[in-house]
Amino acid sequence: MSVGVALQAVMTGLAQGAVYGLVALGFTLCYRLVRVLSFAHGDLIAGATFSAVLVTVGTTPVLRTPSAGVAVAQVVLCLVAGGLLGGLLYVVAVRPFGGELGWVAATVTAGLVVREALGLVLTREAYNVADPLRLPTRQVALPDGASFSLRLVAVLAIGLAVGVAVDRLLVASRYGKAMRAVADDADAASLMGVPTRRVVLLAFAVAGVLAGVAGLLSAPAGPVTVGAGVVLGLKGTTAALLGRLGSARGALAGGLALGVVEALVVAWPTAGPAYRDVLALTVLVVVLALRPEGLRASRRVA
Amino acid sequence: MSDVDVARDLYLLLAALGLNLAVGYAGQPVLGQGAFVAVGGYGTVLLAEHLPLGVAVALSVAGAGVLGWLLDYGAARLRGAFLALGTWGLAWLAVAVLAAFPSTFGGEQGLLREAPARLVSPSLGLGWVLTPRTHVVLAALLCAGLVVATRALGRGAVGLDLAALRQGAEAAASVGVDGAALRRDAIAASAAFGALAGAGTVVLLGVVAPSSVAPLLSIQLFVAVLIGGTANPYGPLLGVGVLLLLPTGVGTERGRGLVTALVLVAALAAREPVARWLAARRRPAVPETEPAAVEEPPAPTPGPVVLDATGIAKSYEGVAALRGVDVAVRSGEVHALIGPNGSGKTTLLRVLAGATRADAGAIVVLGTDVTRLDQTARVRAGVARTFQDTVLFPGLTVREHVAVGARATEPHGAWRTLLAVPSARRARATAAAWTEAVLAETGLAGRAGARPNELTYGEQRLLQVARAAATGATALLLDEPAAGMSVAEVERLRALLRRLAGNGRAVLVVEHNVRFVSAVADRVTVLAAGEVVTRGTPDEVRADPRVRAAYLGEEVA
Repeated sequence: MSVGVALQAVMTGLAQGAVYGLVALGFTLCYRLVRVLSFAHGDLIAGATFSAVLVTVGTTPVLRTPSAGVAVAQVVLCLVAGGLLGGLLYVVAVRPFGGELGWVAATVTAGLVVREALGLVLTREAYNVADPLRLPTRQVALPDGASFSLRLVAVLAIGLAVGVAVDRLLVASRYGKAMRAVADDADAASLMGVPTRRVVLLAFAVAGVLAGVAGLLSAPAGPVTVGAGVVLGLKGTTAALLGRLGSARGALAGGLALGVVEALVVAWPTAGPAYRDVLALTVLVVVLALRPEGLRASRRVA
Repeated sequence: MSDVDVARDLYLLLAALGLNLAVGYAGQPVLGQGAFVAVGGYGTVLLAEHLPLGVAVALSVAGAGVLGWLLDYGAARLRGAFLALGTWGLAWLAVAVLAAFPSTFGGEQGLLREAPARLVSPSLGLGWVLTPRTHVVLAALLCAGLVVATRALGRGAVGLDLAALRQGAEAAASVGVDGAALRRDAIAASAAFGALAGAGTVVLLGVVAPSSVAPLLSIQLFVAVLIGGTANPYGPLLGVGVLLLLPTGVGTERGRGLVTALVLVAALAAREPVARWLAARRRPAVPETEPAAVEEPPAPTPGPVVLDATGIAKSYEGVAALRGVDVAVRSGEVHALIGPNGSGKTTLLRVLAGATRADAGAIVVLGTDVTRLDQTARVRAGVARTFQDTVLFPGLTVREHVAVGARATEPHGAWRTLLAVPSARRARATAAAWTEAVLAETGLAGRAGARPNELTYGEQRLLQVARAAATGATALLLDEPAAGMSVAEVERLRALLRRLAGNGRAVLVVEHNVRFVSAVADRVTVLAAGEVVTRGTPDEVRADPRVRAAYLGEEVA
């Protein structure tokens, strides 16, 4: 692999990794608060992205740059839909179920319902979504004839900015402190007057908004399908596990690491794009099967 | 319905019946049965290109079994949800792998194989004609055999182990049930049957494609088992029946997914009410007889040292909880371990029981060094514990609680139960007799049919002691057995502990209640800040100024 191709892969990987990191951050947040592994996290991304597209563009979106008004509406809708879906996921599929088997089955069902409902409305298998954020697409030349799009830099910057902002809010804001209190000991927090349920609901909504951001950043990169949401969600989960399910920074770092390794493997001459999904899912299965002690997290959210 | 359809549905049932072992019996949320079906289907086609069909099927099935076993190798130490995540990842990984390597797996179209008209074994001179009708018979026999075997296992000693595992892994481990091994074996068997179903289907239809092993199949099989209920050998028949009979929406893949989601919602919503209804239908257990009059305990006869721990040290994240503690408990004595909060009593008990490992020191039980053994192995070596909180199996009766402990030390593997070997039957009879003996010894015989929520608080605490005693362990480690008991209940407990000691057990009690300690203990060891302050008879200890200092923080004059 030439230096240029490697640099290109690293840039692609960092941008993709920032998206994984945002998904991982939301997943980690939910896990720290209520010890629930959400199986519908990826469907939040698909749900948010497609709700926005359906409302603003319709079932047969045409790949052209949307007008400014439509673009703004699409961005707002995507974030709001993500937040609402995240909150709804908690209220419908997590809170009513005390037992583990209950919420595992319920979040799996919730994801299935989102996928199937979208599948009934959407007329096509894969969609090309225009970029509502209008990120620059100018190519920057690298050695050895390689190049990368400025869009990657913008995605990385936005992803990291959002991730760091959430991390800071968790440390500094009143609700952030309440979330850390609930994560440490929900009963004690409740006794101290922390509105536990509202805090957890907020965390799921924040996770949904982060999923929406991930959708906004990743959807314009290529044709998107409803099923791709699940795989993106599972990659975010992998990143969260690599970050030991412990902190916001761990989740972001896990995402960046997974993204870069994935991009390097894809760019490797003897490997190639076939390994794009296989690699992350294999890491997920192997980490869970063989190194669960690596998951023992520190008792912190931020 | 043609024979082909019937045979295909029977193979689907076989995959669900296999999954029932992991989900319905071991209580583990496995969301990736479709991946194991894929291993069986694709493995059979690919291997059969170079090997005889029977060998290809056997290798695929074995491969899936090993994969299932490995998948739970590390996850067995974690909660079930992580296993659910791992298996769910596997379900999507299978599809991703199939899509990534179309030259090997045939892409969207999948792999074709010519359905063999004959299965021949030249060396044996045998030849079977594999018609769809043969498949129907074969699949039906496999399903029936699996149902019969599952039923036999569920009713036998392994079934009791599995019930204990479902109800609480920690409590199960405390009476010697190796939950991790049970879990792994159940998941491996479940995976192997999933692969067998996949192999049968591909031989029947001659084709396997990604769409037939999609994650949706994994969810559907999981739902089918969930509908069938817990530990019900026939459950998947109902579940698969429901899934097959339901209208498949608009007849597309998508419609079927939505119907599956709705059934899953309904099954989840119905789970709790059905369980409550079943519980209400059960004849309420009335107090059958009053507890037998407490017999006069034999005079204490301190025997040889049963449990000998020396130099035990343990620290958590740099904070020393125990600093070189020695304690020895003799058979025939009740030995109390007292000390102020945070003095390391419970930590010592957990170290002795093998629930946590000491940083330094040696533990010898009945002459055997158990320092490196885990909790389940220590139960077999002769140490059993109870918990500070009441940790029981909510769904099991008093007799079953005792029975779980009673056969912990007997050999009772799955194969012994299935083959009904004489030694297994003898062990079963011995365990049953021992169960009744322990029920009588602990004064719980009159309440043998009751479940924990039908017992008084004191009886629940006694049941914890009875369950530990039932393991036959010579050394019993009891963590605050009298906590929260009324005066009458404490007296009953005191008599029980004296009786256990009188029958030759070594009883170590962690206790706060000083009056109870004076009444029950032969010897007392006092811990403070992780060190032994003093030891002696209850009277000697009470008179010791260092004990007062340890408790009240006074300076020793």
